[in-house]
Amino acid sequence: MLPAVVVHGGAGHIPKERAQNSTSGVSAAARAGYIVLKGGGSSMDAVVEAVTQLENNPSFNAGCGSVLNVKGEVEMDAFVMDWKTLATGAVSAVRDIANPTQLARLVMDKTSHACLTAEGAKQFARSMGVPEVPMESLITEYSRMRWRKNLAPDANPVECQMGKMGTVGAVAVDSEGVVACATSTGGMLNKMEGQVGDTPCIGQSSNIHGQIFPEGHSQAVMSILKLCQSAEAASDSALAYMKSRVDGLGGVVTVDPQGNWAARFSSRQMAWAAAQKDTLHYGLYTGEHFTQSIDEPH
Amino acid sequence: MSAVVVVHGGAWAIPDDLAKASVDGVKAAACEGHSVLKRGGSALDAVEAAVRALEDNTVFNAGHGGTLNTEGEVELDAIIMDGRTLGNGAVSSAKNIAHPVTLARAVMEKTSHCMLTSRGANQFAESIGMATVPTETMVTEYERKEWEKHKNYVTGVMEDFNAQWAHDTVGAVAVDCSGNVACATSTGGIRNKMVGRVGDSPIIGSGGYADNLSGAVSCTGHGESILKVTLARLIISHIEQGKSVADSSQLSLQYMGNRVHGAGGAIVVSPSGQWAATFTTERMAWAAVDHDVLWFGLDPNQRSKEQLSN
Repeated sequence: MLPAVVVHGGAGHIPKERAQNSTSGVSAAARAGYIVLKGGGSSMDAVVEAVTQLENNPSFNAGCGSVLNVKGEVEMDAFVMDWKTLATGAVSAVRDIANPTQLARLVMDKTSHACLTAEGAKQFARSMGVPEVPMESLITEYSRMRWRKNLAPDANPVECQMGKMGTVGAVAVDSEGVVACATSTGGMLNKMEGQVGDTPCIGQSSNIHGQIFPEGHSQAVMSILKLCQSAEAASDSALAYMKSRVDGLGGVVTVDPQGNWAARFSSRQMAWAAAQKDTLHYGLYTGEHFTQSIDEPH
Repeated sequence: MSAVVVVHGGAWAIPDDLAKASVDGVKAAACEGHSVLKRGGSALDAVEAAVRALEDNTVFNAGHGGTLNTEGEVELDAIIMDGRTLGNGAVSSAKNIAHPVTLARAVMEKTSHCMLTSRGANQFAESIGMATVPTETMVTEYERKEWEKHKNYVTGVMEDFNAQWAHDTVGAVAVDCSGNVACATSTGGIRNKMVGRVGDSPIIGSGGYADNLSGAVSCTGHGESILKVTLARLIISHIEQGKSVADSSQLSLQYMGNRVHGAGGAIVVSPSGQWAATFTTERMAWAAVDHDVLWFGLDPNQRSKEQLSN
């Protein structure tokens, strides 16, 4: 059952014309994470590699392709966590770098802090030799178009965003049974400057099993998992809780130290992919679960 | 339905020369919160009032009296949460704001977001007419001296934390006469922290959490440890499983000590008015008002009380 990696590229309503890119993007990221694991890499290495791929892919709301804040700028959040030590690293509202997840990992590995924000995060990036990239290089025509559309006074950016431009994340368990997770996002469409969502907040977007909750209830999943429910049942219970309590929809990817995994969502779609035992699993719409050999081109 | 408010002024090895001022400060803040509840105010109003009193008091590491980051600046974090709606607002790394808890409340009530950071938080403050305060007014001489003494952060944190010198976070929890709970936490962070460092205080589930179905919690202690175990949410999870507020706090703090070697404290109140103030550090300044009795403590197992006149 070990190792395994599960990746998602956002839960919500993905327009048909973007669906193919989403599916191939998460599949490629799952493959990349799996190659790391098969080569003896740690679960942390695998999730960072998978999410880096998604950040570099302009189809997702992370790194390049991030949504814009109300001023038309890119501010990104990211988070990583390692189950072995409960070590965590996060950045919020960071600008002008290509891979916030890698910076979050540096926060974890090279500082005694858990989270750095904004200008402080950027200063740290500089001190670590992380190259600064022009903001323009992170902005796509699509994100600019979405931003412009939502500047209109009667626009509803939250509604507009749902699923079209999703946060990305990955969870993995390596051959030693150690789990890790990573999440990355450009945040909410047309958000206020400095808005921070659930992504970099431990327990909200991710924890040792890597749940992703817009309204912050991954602890609910953890509590349920501890009561020995399966990853799938725990994820479904927690999503149902979020819906009933705060009317929120979302998606979750989960993996346990034995290699049991789940990709569940209460929204219409979630682009997800998993790799385990040399098999690639993937899906987009509710109920979908396709498989193919990991070596077959997608 | 009995209204209760509990406040804390930080869990750390509070030195004797700050002990009386710390205890007086939390007592006064608890009374502030109590006045709000007594005249029928909400739990949310009560926790905001109590924390504002602590932010004004320079003996505590929040608002005025906040610690300095490595560049000698004040960066403040705060959170407030409404147990009735699960609504919450937070600011992180906000500069030179006298009442970060009030700014956090404004984020909750005047925006569609839950957290604003850094420059964005300050811009929002300006947009709602909240003034900034010059650094010199916010920083005490004591803090300036300690900062100069502890310029080397690496020996700073764990040593500070386990020794005498760390200031700490403030917080309050309350249940009002309608059975609604709320929490608030506010801090200047860790002395000599890196620029932009965000700890547990403004992070929902870590620095605080409030849910009418279980209770309200505010935490204090070593921020990075509290984050790793999402301490506030952990306490709430135990309450959800039917444990008392005291047992839930004890178990969670013990877990934090065993799992990540972090010490701290928590105040908790349930919707039915049960409350606890628990800590694994040497001391924690805390106070509570329950049925017109003012309870307070500093050292482990200390529970002093005074009757409040009606």
